Amino acid sequence: MASISMRNLVKHYGDFAVIPGLNLEIPDHEFVVLVGPSGCGKSTLLRILAGLETVTEGDLFIGEDRVNGVPASKRDIAMVFQDYALYPHMTVRQNMAFALEMRGMGKDEIEQRVNRAAELLDIRQYLDRRPKALSGGQRQRVAMGRAIVRDPKVFLFDEPLSNLDAKLRAQVRAEIKALSQQLRTTMVFVTHDQIEAMTMADRIVVMKSGVIQQVGTPEEVYEQPANRFVAGFIGSPAMNFIPVTVDGAGLRMEDDRILNTAGIFSRELQDADKTRKLELGIRPEHFTVAAGDPDAIKVDIHLVEPLGSDTLVHFKLAGIEAIARVSPDLRPKPGDRMALKPASGKAHLFDAETGEAIH
Amino acid sequence: MTEVSETDRWMGRLNTVLLILAGVIVITPTVWMILSSFKFSHEVTAYPPKLFFTPTLANYATLSETTPFLHYGFNSIVVTASSTALGMLLGAPAAFVASWTRITWPAIVTLVARMAPGTLFLLPWYVMFRHAGMIGSYWSLILTHAVITMPIVIWVLLPFFDNIPRSVFEAAQVDGCSPFRIFRRIALPLVSSGLAVSAILAFVFSWNYFLFALVLSNSDTKTLIAASFNFIGEGSTNWGGLMAAATLIALPPLILATIVQRWLISGLTLGAVKG
Repeated sequence: MASISMRNLVKHYGDFAVIPGLNLEIPDHEFVVLVGPSGCGKSTLLRILAGLETVTEGDLFIGEDRVNGVPASKRDIAMVFQDYALYPHMTVRQNMAFALEMRGMGKDEIEQRVNRAAELLDIRQYLDRRPKALSGGQRQRVAMGRAIVRDPKVFLFDEPLSNLDAKLRAQVRAEIKALSQQLRTTMVFVTHDQIEAMTMADRIVVMKSGVIQQVGTPEEVYEQPANRFVAGFIGSPAMNFIPVTVDGAGLRMEDDRILNTAGIFSRELQDADKTRKLELGIRPEHFTVAAGDPDAIKVDIHLVEPLGSDTLVHFKLAGIEAIARVSPDLRPKPGDRMALKPASGKAHLFDAETGEAIH
Repeated sequence: MTEVSETDRWMGRLNTVLLILAGVIVITPTVWMILSSFKFSHEVTAYPPKLFFTPTLANYATLSETTPFLHYGFNSIVVTASSTALGMLLGAPAAFVASWTRITWPAIVTLVARMAPGTLFLLPWYVMFRHAGMIGSYWSLILTHAVITMPIVIWVLLPFFDNIPRSVFEAAQVDGCSPFRIFRRIALPLVSSGLAVSAILAFVFSWNYFLFALVLSNSDTKTLIAASFNFIGEGSTNWGGLMAAATLIALPPLILATIVQRWLISGLTLGAVKG
């Protein structure tokens, strides 16, 4: 078990800086999820941690040791790969025992550890099978088993759920979360799926173009996004962004309608805000239906998506395609007019040019 | 719908005809060689060729009486097996490293060396081995034949190694393996069919290589293929004896190829697709 420290970490491929300069501290025992769109550098960062990619500049510490030049084989790190990367010519038992053999562990100890991990992951009955005789979910478990038998300093997961179907993904997600609580080892998990990030992480690191956009608990990145990118990336369906300008005590939308902001933001609008071009961010679930409220915005629904527990209604707001999550009891239909209002304290303002959140 | 199936049918027939044609072209010399080995010398060169004749074992009898055939066979086995082993020993790690590092130019250099005519190397090698006092030794033949076997091994194995997902090697790295252990414990077992294919091809090419053995061997180390040259005289050629010798020489590679033909085809196809 160990903490991880990345200080001014830079990674170049030729002239291209995949990671232009990154600082991140991961304390011991923490489950950190690196999340971001494809090409944001999250997998590169994980591979740097594993020792599968070199660091161009900066320092990488695992525990007290600077590991920049330490090969993967000497880092005492376990990794679960996206395609599981099981050894096809070995049985499940041999796959799990391999790393322990490489470390010169005794046969009895290996047997004991493999059996304990197999018990934990419920794969005892598959121990003598080859990977090709296993389903995707079973292979995924074996890959995890191969990692946990080692009792490593750090676990790394590189999008290990992306090859599973939706139902299995949810199940394995829960299993990994439970496992992390049981093992109490530092874990770094890479995904592009914000739901995986939200449900599993102690802390989420949101990345874009090799740069950390925000580090925080799932609640923090959801409720107080640092910028428009984080606000749009975390949450499903994504946050609605409406271009606005400050007008008196309210916000003027591009169709000249005024949204009364009294009670919507947790602070008063500042004078400085009045000269800026802004974007109002409202999550679909943070609209309230406010029939009869004079401050509510009237919208015309043109699409309805019933989800069972909720219903998504699509409408245009100041020319922008927007979505609200409402109660299915309202039974909205396309063509209906609905009065909506941002929930108190749940709306966000962003600088339209820089994308930075205005708190 | 009918038009398509009619076209398919004609394409199928054309394929069959082409396959038969290719088969006939490939098999005819071999059949000719085997049949001729059971004919008397004057019948071998008779025109028009005789398809129906009284078979004789006289050529095989002459062969065993006039030539130390078993000794030459032993020489061939020593040279071929050793050069194949040497080619595998050098070629398999070379192919693995070329695949791992994605640096293939050294492999291309070996291929160029293989494609260059043997006569290009012959003179420098002759001078070199003469200075080293190795003319007529097994080693001169084994080393020169390794130039034939190693490129074959590299180029057959390269697509096999390329075909292994890179993440499997990376998992082994993370599991604590050194590059050599990855090669031995992970890569080699996963390319076992490639190893078999490359070994067989290397064996066949080395077994059939004539030029180096002709110049670098002596009467003690002469290989079968070089010894068969004895049947071609200045004034006349003992065609029957030559065909009997050729039949016996061709037998081991033919048997080998027949036994492992399934592996051979899948191995060569993989090379064709990935290479």
